[in-house]
Amino acid sequence: MHITHLSLTNFRNYGRLELELPLGPTLLHGNNAQGKTNLLEAIFYLATTRSPQADQDQQLINWEAAQSEEPIVVGRIQAQLETQTGLRHVEMRLILEQSQSVQRGRRSFRREVLVDRRKVRLMDLLGNLRVVLFLPEDIQLITGAPSQRRRYLDMTLCQVDPVYCRHLSEYNKLLEQRNALLRQIADGTGSLEVLPVFTERLAALGSQIFIRRAVFLAAMSREAQRIHYEELTDKNETIRLNYLPRLEDSGTGQGRLLSELVHVGHWLQEQHDTANAVEKRYREAMTAVRQTDLARGSTSVGPHRDDWYIQLNGRNLGSYGSRGQQRTALLALKMAEINWMTKTTGETPILLLDEVVAELDEQRRALLLNYVKGASQALLTATDPAMFTTDFLRQASSYTVANGRVQIDKIV
Amino acid sequence: MAQNVLPQPVQKLINELGRLPGIGPKSAARLTFYLLRAGDEQALALAQALTDLKQRTRFCSVCFNITEDDPCVICQDDGRDPTMLCVVEEPLDVVAIERSRAFNGRYHVLHGAISPVEGVGPEDLRIAELVARVDGGQFSEIILATNPTLEGESTSLYLQRRLTHPGLRLTRLARGLPVGGDLEYTDEITLGRAMEGRQAM
Ligand SMILES: Nc1ncnc2c1ncn2[C@@H]1O[C@H](COP(=O)(O)OP(=O)(O)O)[C@@H](O)[C@H]1O
Ligand SMILES: [Mg+2]
Ligand SMILES: [Zn+2]
Repeated sequence: MHITHLSLTNFRNYGRLELELPLGPTLLHGNNAQGKTNLLEAIFYLATTRSPQADQDQQLINWEAAQSEEPIVVGRIQAQLETQTGLRHVEMRLILEQSQSVQRGRRSFRREVLVDRRKVRLMDLLGNLRVVLFLPEDIQLITGAPSQRRRYLDMTLCQVDPVYCRHLSEYNKLLEQRNALLRQIADGTGSLEVLPVFTERLAALGSQIFIRRAVFLAAMSREAQRIHYEELTDKNETIRLNYLPRLEDSGTGQGRLLSELVHVGHWLQEQHDTANAVEKRYREAMTAVRQTDLARGSTSVGPHRDDWYIQLNGRNLGSYGSRGQQRTALLALKMAEINWMTKTTGETPILLLDEVVAELDEQRRALLLNYVKGASQALLTATDPAMFTTDFLRQASSYTVANGRVQIDKIV
Repeated sequence: MAQNVLPQPVQKLINELGRLPGIGPKSAARLTFYLLRAGDEQALALAQALTDLKQRTRFCSVCFNITEDDPCVICQDDGRDPTMLCVVEEPLDVVAIERSRAFNGRYHVLHGAISPVEGVGPEDLRIAELVARVDGGQFSEIILATNPTLEGESTSLYLQRRLTHPGLRLTRLARGLPVGGDLEYTDEITLGRAMEGRQAM
């Protein structure tokens, strides 16, 4: 799939942008703080309805426009797509509006989504545009908090599996309901009789999420392992992705919990599509922690507390790997993501590479650029185009980004 | 600000209207000045309607629908099937189902749905009354017609646990495709449910 036209209005430092995008690789170059990353972010946002960094959505609107006296300010990302199934127009609106119910001077924020110029639910945007994003900050997938790794799972899966996305959204709402109920039961205002209703529904939905994540991580693990072993380390080092599903809450020390969860992860991956077994186990786990949940006022087992990690030669890469090993594994993970998406959907995702090429040695750079050439469209940013080979530069289109404006140098 | 300029009755109506959902200070002021300029008749008719709303309506002591007479016309109607009971969230749901002319039994209005986040539990709804009514009644089928929202479905599941009488049939409305809708634009969940609930033809 590819974008033929991108249009931005009041998005970050872009006041107004109308941009034709060619097939194949396009290099976006320019000095720092000109809008290169913002452009990739806009496309990523349209694909996932989320910003890659956990920013507030409201901050995506151009500051100057947001500060104007206008009663309504709209930030807009629009893209014309060409996909396997035909042409498609997708649009995201970020709306700041003076609302009567909110205090004077304050404005309410909401989002609107249009597919083929029909207003649809936010979730219905997902799956129209699929991207794989490479950011320098991706290293946090290895070294950062579990919430970042869950976010990665969700954003990747949601682009491909709309049912997963709906389950997840419903799950999160039900979880909020159950936690509110737990707190009410604790302070004597809630009804214990209602609790099983939410427990059951969470178990049914949560099992679906567990299973889909397990299947995804198993596939990703195989592919990342292959790439890492064969393409990146001359058959020297082996990685695998371990899923840590929170189907249990032993509460007995991190080390023990970790190895237990690894086992649960393997068990889950063997269950394939048999939701019943998972649901049963999940329900039992919920029953086992009922008292803890009531005491904490929150739900201690379930996919909202999942984690996963990369293992290198049998050890946790986050704790034991060198920076170089972490970067290599990360590259394998991202390349696996491209292959997984291509295989699952039958078309290559759009690749968005932000400054990553600079960090790689020559061999890795060449390897990554092979993936870039294999995709129907790829956008790469760089402050200095000189880091690309002349051969690659000849094959890539080139745009200059300066102060929220984009100038076309050449289209291949 | 404007308090000392506007006569007190004017300001008072602005304040009251402004407390209604969906009406801000500007609309409240606009409506007030509209009524001020309109004929006496219109303002008095509105005042009367508001008084009647509170004084002449109440909840039916059987089904908890809003009514002028207690029991309500539906509960008093002998032509209705006394073995069928349809449970809904709001009085407007009764209106909608009546308009469909597809149901000729009795109703029970819960006045909301269970939602801990909003502080609504079973005790805030007419659920105890429903259970008592079913216990002492002659119903053979109960249709749980709550909304297909998270809250509505949770309520329905809760009722399912509470209403376990031998021989009592519990049903819920089919979740299907909207009439006049486009299959291509139907989301996966709706389509999935419609597929599950498919019928022989
Ligand atoms: N909401 C916003 N409105 C206006 N400018 C913004 C907004 N958010 C970020 N910026 C500006 O965008 C610039 C950063 O753009 P970025 O795309 O990260 O640059 P780079 O070209 O280095 O990748 C900074 O100058 C920042 O001040
Ligand atoms: Mg940048
Ligand atoms: Zn009645």
